[in-house]
Amino acid sequence: MTLVDRIARFRATLEEWLRGLFHGMFSHPAYEKIESEAEDLEDEFMLSCFPDAFGVPSPISYYTAELLPYLEDEFEAWERRLWDRGSLVERKGSQYHF
Amino acid sequence: MDRYVFFGGKGGVGKTTVSAAYAHRCATAGLETLVVSTDPAHSVGDLFDQEFGDEPRSIDGFEHLHALEIDPQAEVSEHLSQVKRNLSQQVSAAMVNAVDRQIEMAHGTPGAYEAALFDRFVDVMQHNDAYDRIVFDTSPTGGTLRLLSLPDYLEGWIDRLMAKRRKSIDLFEKAAIGNQEPRRVMDGDPVLAHLQDRKEFFESAGDMLRNEAAFFLVFNPDSLSIRETERAIDDLAEQGLSVRGLVANRLTPDPDTDEQGRGARYLRDRVETERERLETAEQTLSPPVVAEIETQVEEIKGDRLARVGDALEINTSRPD
Repeated sequence: MTLVDRIARFRATLEEWLRGLFHGMFSHPAYEKIESEAEDLEDEFMLSCFPDAFGVPSPISYYTAELLPYLEDEFEAWERRLWDRGSLVERKGSQYHF
Repeated sequence: MDRYVFFGGKGGVGKTTVSAAYAHRCATAGLETLVVSTDPAHSVGDLFDQEFGDEPRSIDGFEHLHALEIDPQAEVSEHLSQVKRNLSQQVSAAMVNAVDRQIEMAHGTPGAYEAALFDRFVDVMQHNDAYDRIVFDTSPTGGTLRLLSLPDYLEGWIDRLMAKRRKSIDLFEKAAIGNQEPRRVMDGDPVLAHLQDRKEFFESAGDMLRNEAAFFLVFNPDSLSIRETERAIDDLAEQGLSVRGLVANRLTPDPDTDEQGRGARYLRDRVETERERLETAEQTLSPPVVAEIETQVEEIKGDRLARVGDALEINTSRPD
């Protein structure tokens, strides 16, 4: 194995590690943040659609009920998120994995 | 103009009689006329001694006159079972129960009855091209006229729902790194498609109500009924719908001048107070009083309708 090969291999490994490090430290948390923001928006959407789940009568729930067949995943995720949401700080800071 | 004519008012003021009389007048003028009743008591059926159902049926003994009765409760149940049928096709068995509860709840809310009625109204308006005029005898539940203001209100709501949905899908798409499949995809999203359908439905309903409908309120010459009418006018005005005219029903007839008995004195007193109230109504309420109908001794049936119809000074000309 020549020196040139060893340098090339070293650089490849380093690059992979650096990319992984960058991904773990920056991009992934950022995407996680976007995803959790999307989830928050979705929760808002679900709450606007089905406020009667919390005892708030809504004149539109008759119509939003028509959406339920298409909202299976959303509905389940919504319920789960509502159950284990502690505080706003915990939710908004969850990407730091304290 | 005025393909659709709505009669509203408090319970018991005689909406069914007035709408039927008006429809009769239109039919006599040669218009194919459909009377739509929403009264769960089915008073249109009683009036003509005939049973009507969910589909238009011609009224025996009258030319050009047809009737249809809407049962809002049946509409709610129908909607419920339709959503459930749809649900069982789409959703896994494990989730059906949780979602089922939500659906049942939505159909038990006070608004469900009104929404079902509204849907059916619009359905009737959209799918009965054979008729020149459709007369709606609205049920006395306070909400029925307010219901006609639903489109604007719901359109706004649906707009906001769609905006939220779009934003969250957009973020989900952005959050999908590399070759990952995004959790939600904007393209062909069934929820957005459904909301869009609904939005178009409300838009067309709003258009029809604003451009092709006329509203009349029936009242009796007592102060409660007049106040109620005033409120209804304000409510409708708030929604950009104007009341074309008022119909005063159940006026006490004058006794003959040579009668001096107790009954005659009572009637004269009554006529006097009713005159005053009617004047107040004419002064305080902005829509004109288009008809004054005297109390009838018997229930109005069959040919007596024509007499009442003649008292209605409402234009029956063919809608353009």
